[in-house]
Amino acid sequence: MRALASSLRCFGARQPLGAVGAAIVAVLVATAVFAPALAPHGPKEAVFTPYLAPSPEFPFGTDHLGRDQLSRVIWGARLSLYVGLVSVVFGVTLGGLWGVVTGYFGGAGDNASQRIVDVLMALPPIILALSLMAALGQSMNNVVLALAILLAPTAARTLRALALSIKESPFVEAARAVGCSHWRVIVLHVLPNTLAAYIVLLTVNIAYAIVVEASLSFLGLGAPPDEPSWGAMLNAGAQAIEAAPWMFLFPGLAISLTVLGLNLVGDAIRDLTDPRLRGGLG
Amino acid sequence: MRAVRRISVFLAVVLLVGLGAGGGATQEKPRYGGVLTWFDYGDPGRLDVAGIWSGLLHWDPDDPAKITGDLAERWRASPDGKTYTFELRKGVKWHDGQPFSAADVKATFDRILNPEFKSPKCGASLKPMVASLEVLDRYTVRFRLKAPVVSFLGAIASAWCRVAAKHVLEKYGDLDRPEAQIGTGPFKFKRYERGNLIEWEKNRDYFVPGLPYLDGVKQYILVGAPTQLAAAKVGRVMLWDTWPPMRKTQVAELARARGNEIDTYQWPVNAIYAIYMNVHKPPFSNPDLRRAVNLAVDRQELVEKALEGAGVPCAILDPKLVGDFALPFEEVAKIAGCRQPKDQDIAEAKRLVEKHYPNGIDVEFAVRAVGNYLDRAQLLVGQLTRIGIRGTIKSYESAAGYAAFGKGDFTLIATQDRGMNSTDPGDVFHLVYTTEAGSNYARWSDPKVDDLAARALRESNRERRKQLYWELQRHILSDAPGAVAVGWVEGWFFRDKRVINYKPAKTAYDNNTFMKVSLRE
Repeated sequence: MRALASSLRCFGARQPLGAVGAAIVAVLVATAVFAPALAPHGPKEAVFTPYLAPSPEFPFGTDHLGRDQLSRVIWGARLSLYVGLVSVVFGVTLGGLWGVVTGYFGGAGDNASQRIVDVLMALPPIILALSLMAALGQSMNNVVLALAILLAPTAARTLRALALSIKESPFVEAARAVGCSHWRVIVLHVLPNTLAAYIVLLTVNIAYAIVVEASLSFLGLGAPPDEPSWGAMLNAGAQAIEAAPWMFLFPGLAISLTVLGLNLVGDAIRDLTDPRLRGGLG
Repeated sequence: MRAVRRISVFLAVVLLVGLGAGGGATQEKPRYGGVLTWFDYGDPGRLDVAGIWSGLLHWDPDDPAKITGDLAERWRASPDGKTYTFELRKGVKWHDGQPFSAADVKATFDRILNPEFKSPKCGASLKPMVASLEVLDRYTVRFRLKAPVVSFLGAIASAWCRVAAKHVLEKYGDLDRPEAQIGTGPFKFKRYERGNLIEWEKNRDYFVPGLPYLDGVKQYILVGAPTQLAAAKVGRVMLWDTWPPMRKTQVAELARARGNEIDTYQWPVNAIYAIYMNVHKPPFSNPDLRRAVNLAVDRQELVEKALEGAGVPCAILDPKLVGDFALPFEEVAKIAGCRQPKDQDIAEAKRLVEKHYPNGIDVEFAVRAVGNYLDRAQLLVGQLTRIGIRGTIKSYESAAGYAAFGKGDFTLIATQDRGMNSTDPGDVFHLVYTTEAGSNYARWSDPKVDDLAARALRESNRERRKQLYWELQRHILSDAPGAVAVGWVEGWFFRDKRVINYKPAKTAYDNNTFMKVSLRE
């Protein structure tokens, strides 16, 4: 416990902005995990007077259907984190594996795979996500799937580049020389050496996935309409921007803070894992 | 000095008279030129644009409560009320230069009355009334009715019963494509850009001399309330006279932005807000489940929140439009499902659901993503969760939704407004509730409803007719209908003060030909 506290203090001293980010992310995670206990009302409970301004009873006011905005923002954290984490884990992991394996083996397969990556990366991300949602239909799992498809090419391209340099390393040559199979080399020697980049991709892309999910929901093609998505709440707020500014203010703040927190943490992790940026080694 | 004073007085009088006359003239005198801009909430399922077509009759643009001739110059009913003869205008030309004649009227209505042809508006109204149609000569047609029907002329005057060209129908089969937009109306079809706009241009050969005043009309396709409101706030649209109406908060925002440049008003849309349950699919093939929904839906809450109070909860007929044909509020307010508080009805509804589904049931709520339908669907999900019906919302693009509903490809439609053809009390039953109703998406069939609706349609005695409609309303409100009547829709609209002589009709789209509308400088 003391060691953990000491590590955190050390992290805070070396990466003060990262520490702020970590604090925000910790609040987000706690909010998401304890949403049922924290939210004063159900997120879909439309039993109050619509358009109530923020007050002690409703600190974030009520929306156009008479739902407590605070409860919806709290439950929205759970939805955002779920979509962000699951889509990124799937997308980055599968994309990363794809990049590492094709990069390691090279040849025509690698070339063909990179052209597919080119095609996917050439499409504007939000257009690709919208098209996928239009084709797949509106549900939480389809949002996750669309985001995973969106994130996989970037992960594939990034980790393939790493794999190309790792496979030329002396330790890989040594492993091959002692008779390790290609798959053993990939699993035991190449993949572990991409882990730092993989973690950075995860942290940076969670924020990106949350923003894309919010954008899709804002455009009406993300989470189902009754789910407390911050993007959908922004959309509802945009329809009463003068009459009830709190309707877009709080979900907007939630998105901004979450993305800020995740990006700060991502930057800090990148700094800590990059030898060129790590203090004392430069 | 006296002469100077006299001249001054004279000049002042001349000036005042001149100003007065001038002011009056700018108030009243229409001006030629200009393009009117308004909008529709989505791409139309069919391209039958209002201003392009004329009807036999129409609701008078100067007095929207009165029926007047359009393509028909004169009309008369037989003494027994079973035939109506229409004498048509001579010299009318279609937009492609072909002459208009009685053959066009026959081709139009034969098509609409064909039992195989789906005409959810005009056909749904006319099919129960009209037996046949014959051409007496080149400019005379006669409708033979199945029985004397007092609402026949109102149905014929509807915007949904415009006359199409026989040669166009023969060539294209329908009126969906841009090339088929050939009418006799005050405006000609100019272009359609999907998702952007429909443009009409002045018909210089219009059969009413001197009309229209406008050079054209631009009908933007504006999806989503924020876009629609933004267009109104910057003056890009001059008129909001279409479904969906504005909400109270929107009209307040618009009034703040445009000040005295616009007139705003509250107006009935003449549309019923209904929830449909597919009676051929479980769970709503079971009358107990339909009864449960009918009991559990809190109409007052839906009207208060979804329509921001602009509506008549629990009304199958709106007294503002049909007077005492609507069941009195006092009686409606006592009917199970409509009465407040809801505790007793919700308990009964819950019992009915538990009887068949002890653990509750998951149901997909279909909804077209237009207007504030998604908000309404969310409210309904909340209401039905209380009785064990757990809803998940499936949203459709407008036309795709209609296609799915038409095929019966749904379990429950969370909300659908159905606009009437006229203000006749019989409309709603022939459009929504009878077996053959054009918008009977639920495919509900109740012999009692069919019988009462048919008898009421043919009843000429007003008091007896009223009693029949009251009985219909009681039966539908308290039974297990396929369509739950949430209420009657009203809303707020605006008109830019530059728009002269636009008088909204009592039924949406009835006065949208803009034939007498002009624009101030």
